[in-house]
Amino acid sequence: MNFLLFGLFSILLSGLAPLLLVRRTHLAKGVHSALLAVGCALGLCGLYAASQAGANTSLSFAWLTFSLSLSVDSLATLFLMPLFIVSPLLVLYSYQYLGTSQHTVRTVASYLFFSLLLAAMVLVSMAADMITFVVAWEIMSLASFLLVLYDWEHLQTRKAAHLYLLFTQSGAFCIFIAFALLFAATGSFSFSTEAISALPHSLKLTIFLVALLGFGSKAGAMPLHIWLPHAHPAAPSHVSALMSGVMIKLGVYGMLRIYFLLDDPAFIFAWIILPLGMLSGVLGVVYALAKHDIKRLLAYHSIENIGIILMGCGLGMLGLAAGDRVMAAFGFAGGLLHVLNHALFKSLLFLGAGAIQHSTGIRKLDTLGGLMRRMPVTGRSFLTGSVAISGLPPLNGFISEFLIYYAGFLGLRLTGFNLVLVIATIISLAMIGGLASACFTKMVGIVFLGEPRSKEAALATEAKPAMRVAMILLACICLLIGLFPAPFIGAAFAGLRDLAPLSSLMLSDIVSTISRNLTMAAWLFLALLLGLTGLRRWLYQGKPIQRGSTWGCGFTQANSRIQYTASSYAMDIVDFFRPLVRVRTVYKGLAGNPLPSPAEYSSKTDDLAEIGLQHLLSQPVLWCAAKLRWIQHGRIQSYIAYIVLAIIVVLLAA
Amino acid sequence: MSAGIEISLAIILLSVLFSLSSSRLMTLIKLMALQGALVSLLPVLLNSANKLPPGGIALFLIMLLIKAILIPALLYFALTRMAIRREVEPLIGYHASVVVGLGLILLATYLSRYLQYSAPGVLALMPITAITALGGGLFLMMSRTKALTQVIGYLMLDNGIYLMGTALIKRTHSHYLVELGVLLDLLVAVMIMGIILNNINRAFDDVDTLDLEQLKD
Repeated sequence: MNFLLFGLFSILLSGLAPLLLVRRTHLAKGVHSALLAVGCALGLCGLYAASQAGANTSLSFAWLTFSLSLSVDSLATLFLMPLFIVSPLLVLYSYQYLGTSQHTVRTVASYLFFSLLLAAMVLVSMAADMITFVVAWEIMSLASFLLVLYDWEHLQTRKAAHLYLLFTQSGAFCIFIAFALLFAATGSFSFSTEAISALPHSLKLTIFLVALLGFGSKAGAMPLHIWLPHAHPAAPSHVSALMSGVMIKLGVYGMLRIYFLLDDPAFIFAWIILPLGMLSGVLGVVYALAKHDIKRLLAYHSIENIGIILMGCGLGMLGLAAGDRVMAAFGFAGGLLHVLNHALFKSLLFLGAGAIQHSTGIRKLDTLGGLMRRMPVTGRSFLTGSVAISGLPPLNGFISEFLIYYAGFLGLRLTGFNLVLVIATIISLAMIGGLASACFTKMVGIVFLGEPRSKEAALATEAKPAMRVAMILLACICLLIGLFPAPFIGAAFAGLRDLAPLSSLMLSDIVSTISRNLTMAAWLFLALLLGLTGLRRWLYQGKPIQRGSTWGCGFTQANSRIQYTASSYAMDIVDFFRPLVRVRTVYKGLAGNPLPSPAEYSSKTDDLAEIGLQHLLSQPVLWCAAKLRWIQHGRIQSYIAYIVLAIIVVLLAA
Repeated sequence: MSAGIEISLAIILLSVLFSLSSSRLMTLIKLMALQGALVSLLPVLLNSANKLPPGGIALFLIMLLIKAILIPALLYFALTRMAIRREVEPLIGYHASVVVGLGLILLATYLSRYLQYSAPGVLALMPITAITALGGGLFLMMSRTKALTQVIGYLMLDNGIYLMGTALIKRTHSHYLVELGVLLDLLVAVMIMGIILNNINRAFDDVDTLDLEQLKD
């Protein structure tokens, strides 16, 4: 606990210290990175100590009339781990990614908010009562809002940030309501299960649903995800990486925390969470296929991965409800391990996207191309991340998804509606895996292979050293988890230790068997890959290799425009999901004109949830507001009259 | 001494009515000075039976200074700087305003009946005057277009509240200390209003608040 507090202190200091060093950019950057790295290292030590100490370590102090209390249990440990691992690498990346000398003040401010966001996330994970949780949650939301505003000159950025603020604050409002309900029923702010588990089932369900609304909007579960694809492209890449990799997971953390607090193993929770996960997962990846902006595409993949995590948790809930605790443990552990894994590979991918944008200034897939030769390190680490996010061995995504699959297969013993749900989950997981592979072959193929489609892409240069090192390290960690999964699977199961319904479960036999098999499978795949590469090299030895332009198709004057585009590659699959994805195409073609003339084709896809929100919420509200506009006529005298009227009404009512 | 109190209350009432019918800003400012002086003297008259401590006397002197001299002086300078003499420019005519003022007195009498129950032993005219001044101030703000009139209406509103406080709350030192604080706020408000008035004047060549409608989007 002491380590954690010192770590927290150091992280906060790393935000404040650069404020004093505004005039010396490099010193400020160095001090920030060093202090933050020290803080995270201390935090990791603290996590290790907390996991060794076994019991719940806690600490509380008084603030105003409340007492704020912090504690670290096994669940919090699991959510803190990615935070402490990923953020030093992100800071390393930002060392050369963030603005040059003319933007010093802005850089320093972004450091402050970055540290504040980190500290708030640590506090959210450690909060042991509602007041602490809510305070930390709000600081987290506001700090991340300010980070999104880094490029505030652009209207697009400001709009995205406002959208994010709207979602995060309405989400927080729902969380407040859920906590208020809890407080009204128990009379205590603390997260103690004794009082809460005695509540009636209907109240518990209401609390869970309201809280889910709030946590779901933070996590980006499907109908509440609208802010994600706007905020992530607007924010600087390392901020997107932190938000997408770590922050949105805290939504899942909050949901799990509430679920275990309520301590009500009923089927209904799984029936809510599983379809939500399937919807987010499948639609997330389909929208990702349809989008052609690198960062927006990655944002949709975050939604997809939240869906996978939710599916794992949903299977866990189903297992608890059905009394199958082994299945429950595998479901939760898979979801939790995926939290760590997604934090790693999604940060890696966002950093890669940032490197591409930094070097070319482009985010649109269809104007990139041929970057693998120009940015070899970025390209290869991005490829590693892509394989990992598609859930392919021998990388880490495969491990956690396998655990969720395993929970699903254990769930095949259930009957009736539950069985249907489990089968649907397994099918969705498989579909998500396939579609994610399709999406990332599209992305890697269009961005890194082929010929450059624009001058900027042709002139691209490799990312700067600090950025490269961060990406390489992240890729290595992904590979490490994939090749040596046993300790990480163990950690994920250890994360369930302090959760009441799963605490006394002994699984070491089955877990060690599975980790052994997974390790073997991963090494087999690696051996196969290396073997095939070696074979190819051996077979081509001594043969003349002629290099032509990619996808030249035998043309002598091939130019970059005859290549596949992102839309043409993805459209087949997107078409299949047509009712769920609205595709608008504009084609000004050769209608009726036999002679060649200029033609034009473009397609745009709309997010169904966005359209729904616009039609069901924002348009009616705007309509009402327009109808009430006559009240705002700008005449002071009438405004005073309004005030007097209001006072009289209040007096009469009182 | 009761007669003196009643007379000054009656003068305050009449000054409210007069201000509703007045068409000149300078008259309004003079009326405010008179009203401020009377209102800040009232507690002294009420307390004349018991001996006031020197601290209390100092408080009342400060109040008199601010209410009767400082604020009207500020308003006077604002008026001369902006070189406007008359034109209160009512949205509701002077005669109608006086009728409204009379109606206000009736309403106040009706309302003060309830107050008599909750606070017995208070001079009957006191809450009536207070409520009338309060309502008159609000009405002045609502029915006149010149920004300066809004400040004056606000002052009258504050006079009404102050009278109400004098009528209802047991008179102790600390109560007036709070009043003094409020008064300082008011002074600052008047100064800020002066700045805003100046800005309106510069932007529109007039201090007519109807011009501010152009600012809405």
